[in-house]
Amino acid sequence: MSHVATDMSGETGGLRRLGRVTAAMWRLGASEALAYRAAMLVWILTTTFPLVSLALWHSLAGGGAIGGYGRAEFTAYFLAAFVIRQMTASWVVWDLAAQIASGDLSTLLMRPVHPLLHHLMSNLAALPVRMMLAVPLGLVVLIFVGDVEADAGLHLLLAPAAVLMAWLLNVSVQIAVACLAFWVTSSASLFELWLGLYMVLSGYAVPTGLFPAGLAAVVRYLPFHAALGFPVELTIGRLSGPEIAAGFALQLLWLAVFGALALWLWRRGLRVYGAVGA
Amino acid sequence: MEPVVEVRALCKQFRVPRREAGLGAALRALFRRQYTTVEAVRELSFSLGAGERVGFLGPNGAGKTTTLKMLSGLLYPSSGAVQVAGHVPAQRAPEFLRSISLVMGQKRQLSWDLPAVDTFEFNRVVFDIDARDYRRRLDELVSLLAVGEVMRRPVRQLSLGERMKCELVAALLHAPRLLFLDEPTIGMDVAMQLSIREFVRRYNVEHGATVILTSHYMEDVAALCPRILVIDGGQLRFDGSIEALTRRIRPLRRASVRADSLPSAEALAGMGRVVEVEGGRLVLDVEPARVPAVVQALIALPGAQDLVVQDAPLEEVMRELFRREAGAEPGR
Repeated sequence: MSHVATDMSGETGGLRRLGRVTAAMWRLGASEALAYRAAMLVWILTTTFPLVSLALWHSLAGGGAIGGYGRAEFTAYFLAAFVIRQMTASWVVWDLAAQIASGDLSTLLMRPVHPLLHHLMSNLAALPVRMMLAVPLGLVVLIFVGDVEADAGLHLLLAPAAVLMAWLLNVSVQIAVACLAFWVTSSASLFELWLGLYMVLSGYAVPTGLFPAGLAAVVRYLPFHAALGFPVELTIGRLSGPEIAAGFALQLLWLAVFGALALWLWRRGLRVYGAVGA
Repeated sequence: MEPVVEVRALCKQFRVPRREAGLGAALRALFRRQYTTVEAVRELSFSLGAGERVGFLGPNGAGKTTTLKMLSGLLYPSSGAVQVAGHVPAQRAPEFLRSISLVMGQKRQLSWDLPAVDTFEFNRVVFDIDARDYRRRLDELVSLLAVGEVMRRPVRQLSLGERMKCELVAALLHAPRLLFLDEPTIGMDVAMQLSIREFVRRYNVEHGATVILTSHYMEDVAALCPRILVIDGGQLRFDGSIEALTRRIRPLRRASVRADSLPSAEALAGMGRVVEVEGGRLVLDVEPARVPAVVQALIALPGAQDLVVQDAPLEEVMRELFRREAGAEPGR
């Protein structure tokens, strides 16, 4: 019995240590995010595309609802899309691919903590700074547009989970692509391909519900929709119970696929890592 | 004594793409890429005991840094076995990483835009350092390296030497049992080189840590490392003390003296090989066994002064060693 107790305490000790390490990474990442706040503001300004879409669809819907979206619904959709994109954004693909290519990854490999945890935390740590910059921008737009309509119901309790899953999915895809840098020279540019599809198919520019029926059905099964469209539609209350369940199931599925792929590429990649640069 | 580093028949090959110069070759390489296998380390075997200070010497591309990276777990060996502090480095067990440290002159672990003290605090948590130990070690390192004020400025604003001192603090806060130093003094002025050298020696003596150093500055290695491993073409060429290497490459010792009158040419020929006789100054290369007799004879000269017997400088010995090997194995 006694050794079981020791094991248990070892387990909680390990968890407590992981908690401390995670918190320390978060603090370091937050300090860096603050040091780069100007760069982040510029980046946020380059991702205001949903707000442009908002202006466009808002005026188009002046003549009546389009595909179930009236002016107020469009406002809710694109404001949510803007904020959720900010919350689920990651830049690990550029950071990690550059570290692999330059050999700077060596620094992370010498620490007794998983390098990928470092990247997750440095992305997450930027969230508050990012929100401090993005939310006022969204509010200003809201004041200008005026009308907004979204259901405030129980589904709002599920929204954080969907946003978290979407973030993990984005991060997994980015890590998988970044790990290609172990073998090829410029893996990050491959990600541009993914990003191009994401812009069109995720519901970032246009709600996927407005696509032609056959196309919409296919698109809503893809990982792009799971990474943005689903959490957005869930947040503004456009989904029924079964649709919500299906959305979460798809998020889980894609997360499992890309998470496994990312870890596999990471492990294979370390075997060929060159640790270049003296 | 149980070895702390054990390397057996270690090999590392890199497969690198190669092509001729020019656009045509670049286009051809798109369709049929050609590779060359570079053997960076070949059949390397050695072992190191706890508390040793060992220098890796060799020309550029000899495999020193590749070996160091395999010892610290950054590179997977192609074949052979490595054990460091009871671990297989490439598995990167947290316990292993907590017992070693790697400092690279050309790489940094400090966050570029934050003060170094932020990285120190971060390492305290990540390396699980007890708060009291951390305080004590930080105070000690900071006063030894005189970085009390420096560590509070953003790293990007530090000079090369200040930055390297902070790197050393970050690397040593967890009191590693093994310290790998890859060109730690590169690009530094002589005063800074001296202070870093002295600091590393002190760390080794006070903590009993094993130190492995690669450096292009022979003085670094000569002053710091009682034992050297000469690596060339990925292979071990020599393992022993600098004195032993010198004796092997340049067995004769050089004696010089000033005197009012010098012995005759025949008498000199009996002592050793004459290098220089000029204006009362005599320089001779002497067999080691004959040094005592020759020294006695030289001291007995009328008006003898400035008698010196010394080994050839390490720099010269190394040049001689690599020249001989290049001659012995043409085409490499």
